[in-house]
Amino acid sequence: MTIILFSGEMDKAIAAFTLATTAASSGMDVTIFFTFWGLNIIKKTRFTIAKPQMLMQKMFNIMSTSKLPISKLDFFGLGPWMMRKLMKKSKMASLEDLMKLAKELKVKYIACTTSCGVLGLSKGNLIDDVSEFAGAMTYLAEAKESKINLFI
Amino acid sequence: MTPDRTLDCVGLFCPMPIIKTKQEMDTMKTGEVLEILADDPGFEKDLPEWCKATGQKLIEIKKEGGLLKGYITKTK
Repeated sequence: MTIILFSGEMDKAIAAFTLATTAASSGMDVTIFFTFWGLNIIKKTRFTIAKPQMLMQKMFNIMSTSKLPISKLDFFGLGPWMMRKLMKKSKMASLEDLMKLAKELKVKYIACTTSCGVLGLSKGNLIDDVSEFAGAMTYLAEAKESKINLFI
Repeated sequence: MTPDRTLDCVGLFCPMPIIKTKQEMDTMKTGEVLEILADDPGFEKDLPEWCKATGQKLIEIKKEGGLLKGYITKTK
């Protein structure tokens, strides 16, 4: 299975990682291709500002923090906080839990080099679980061999 | 039938019961039976599908009130 993770919202990321971990648990090879806002999910730190970045790149890396918003009723950050509380209360797995499991289940992460270039992100800005830095052709080569391909 | 092991997934939601089932089965020997307790209603459909996908044998899944009890044999 392959997933293009384009969105950078917590709820969409949870949906993607729920499917990724379930597929990996049933013996499928799973690859997630992180592009555009999806890269926020795999940033190491909340503010990923580095010296060589241009001013506009810095602004994108402040505004799009790795403390992820939710796609509806975000309320400037109150929404995610409430969502986390509710999820904890109902014992639903958090995004962090699911990402830890994804690593254990050998889900493969590819980061889009074009998006990294636009946002001024380098290898060191992203978590170590990213195994490849590549482009659309690498994704397509994986997707061609896969029966399930999702864009989230 | 006496299960060799019991896995308690009560209170957990999808995808956790399936992932925990997989992880538990990885540590078991062929021929052993795993009992899984869960209360996420989706698990009633998900466990048979997981068995189909992985080739493990489903003995049965039964409902006792709100509690689901699944029994599977490790075939490989």
